[in-house]
Amino acid sequence: MKLNKESKELLVFSAIIAAAIGIFLAFYFGLAGLKVFIGIIVAAIPFYIFLNTLGLDEGEKIVLSLVLGITLFPSFVYLLGFFVSFRMSIAIVFIALTAISVLWSYRKFRKS
Amino acid sequence: MKLNKNYIQTSIFIAVYLFAIYFWTQPLQDRKLPYGEYDAMSHFEVADYIAYNDKSFSELPAYIDLRYGTDNKYKPHTLWYPPTFHSSLAVAEAVGGERVVPIFLMNTILATFIIITVYFVINSLFGFLPAILSALLLIFSPRDFMPYLWGQWPERFAYAFVPLILYFFYKYFISYSKEDKKPTYLYITVLLLGINILVHPLVFFHSLIALAVLYILLSIKQKKIVFNVKHISIAAIIFIALFMLFPNQTFNIFAQFSRDSAGNGQSSLDFSRLLHWSLNPKDYEGSVPASYFSFGEMHGLWTMPLLLIGMAFLLWRGEERDILLLAWLIGLYLVLHRDLAGKATFLHRSLSASAHIFAPLTAIGAIYIASAIKLPSNFNKYLKYGIAGLFIFLVFSVNMAYASKILNKNAYNDFLSTLSMEQYKAAEWILQNANPQYNVSVVGIPHQQNILPATAKKIRWSAAVSQHVSRFYLLALAEDKKEAERRLKNDYIMLDYTMLGHIGDKETFDKMQEMEKNQLTNYTLIYNQNNIRVYKLEAQ
Repeated sequence: MKLNKESKELLVFSAIIAAAIGIFLAFYFGLAGLKVFIGIIVAAIPFYIFLNTLGLDEGEKIVLSLVLGITLFPSFVYLLGFFVSFRMSIAIVFIALTAISVLWSYRKFRKS
Repeated sequence: MKLNKNYIQTSIFIAVYLFAIYFWTQPLQDRKLPYGEYDAMSHFEVADYIAYNDKSFSELPAYIDLRYGTDNKYKPHTLWYPPTFHSSLAVAEAVGGERVVPIFLMNTILATFIIITVYFVINSLFGFLPAILSALLLIFSPRDFMPYLWGQWPERFAYAFVPLILYFFYKYFISYSKEDKKPTYLYITVLLLGINILVHPLVFFHSLIALAVLYILLSIKQKKIVFNVKHISIAAIIFIALFMLFPNQTFNIFAQFSRDSAGNGQSSLDFSRLLHWSLNPKDYEGSVPASYFSFGEMHGLWTMPLLLIGMAFLLWRGEERDILLLAWLIGLYLVLHRDLAGKATFLHRSLSASAHIFAPLTAIGAIYIASAIKLPSNFNKYLKYGIAGLFIFLVFSVNMAYASKILNKNAYNDFLSTLSMEQYKAAEWILQNANPQYNVSVVGIPHQQNILPATAKKIRWSAAVSQHVSRFYLLALAEDKKEAERRLKNDYIMLDYTMLGHIGDKETFDKMQEMEKNQLTNYTLIYNQNNIRVYKLEAQ
């Protein structure tokens, strides 16, 4: 899949912003602060992929994927945490949600 | 890459938001120790227990159950809130690899999320300038950061959902009138409502009332009823699925609700309150400072005329997007006067949502002044930026100056109530080395009547960090010798000498020395660092 110019620009801009936030958090809160930020972004990614198929504005997708990443993602982790270790369930939930989102996107892409 | 306007605006917002994170985390930045009132301890305890022990739990551990065991009326001795909020903090701790910084940083991000959602909604509907001014004003809202400091953590985050819920429902309603209906927006609205109830039930009702007002006002404005059985059925399924995610906690809402209805006789019906926005500070003496109820101190008196202009402007113009803000305002007014319908519980907490709608109204009022004055061609633009500049100056010189008196690096840097680094280390040692089935009796933390309310918090923080039931062991407890003996025999005995020198309590110091000499001779000294000692009577 080839990225268009607009998407490339957005990607570069997002990377610059993410780097700025990462540096800020690392400066004030050390490695822990940086890891928390990376965790938030990682948890939001599967939701962003899913929301990307719903015809929402860019801002709507970003805000919603952040909200879902810090609420639904940990809720699923908590539920799975009764059966496997909490840390392990973070990884499993991330993989599962990403897989579902990618498959959903692929299905939508093929349909269109 | 050519910089477009959106990127510049987003960069400015990110800078403002990072400043908010800096400003709100000041008590954490240097000390990196846990702080806050009892509510803060409970939220820290739940999240930390999950992350530290690397497992989810349903039955409360003893040190949490001691205080919160009966808060869940539907299923006692389990979590009293759905674990959504706490799991978020727990994931942060697990990922961050530390106990204090990740939880407190994540909580700050969640508590300041209202700045993100207000910016997003106002930017989408009214443009960048009112959005960024609203975001800036919200950073210094004491009605937001005071409850955050006190520990009403989930509630702070839950308020971030109100503008989002209204926005997505607005998008659904507006799109419904066109050929291309977008039910996705309704499903997102309900998804957010469902998550809202998982984060904090009180705020869920707030969102629901504001949503009802928005629906009624938009129906009147557009002279149509939006009702689609298929859309509503799917939305209902989404909501029920979320509600049933944690039934032991969500059903507690009904139990709490019926209890409140049965036993709530605290307020006499005072209809004159309908003319007031705020509450009577005298009704909250001892628990909430009087300043919390003052418009001038919480928002800055300079915002009052702009707020009124903003409201008047929206009423006069009456576009659909204006109705969204007015519905938000009316919804909050109704929630703030629910005592007149017999629901007075946590009324003052709803007041903490004032700035979320006042800030955008104030910013819109300021921007409107510029457009209302008739000037030749480009001058209106200059006037708009001039007023925005003055707005920013007032925010920093009035609101930030006031906020900095409450929220600064010394907030909760309290010798009496917050753990010192030595005490934190001792509590962590207990966590890592002491058998969890035994309690901890602490000697040496001052407990005279005048300072007990403060030092009791220190003991609770110690319990939170050590994940053990920790209590004062009163040397003067001669009247209940049996209990004293039982605790001496079973508990870990922690002698904390770190505070006595500062308050010049030689009498307690001597008694503790005597205790070590006479009562603890057969005990094993298992921890001895930084003037804190821990003894345990070995099993015979």
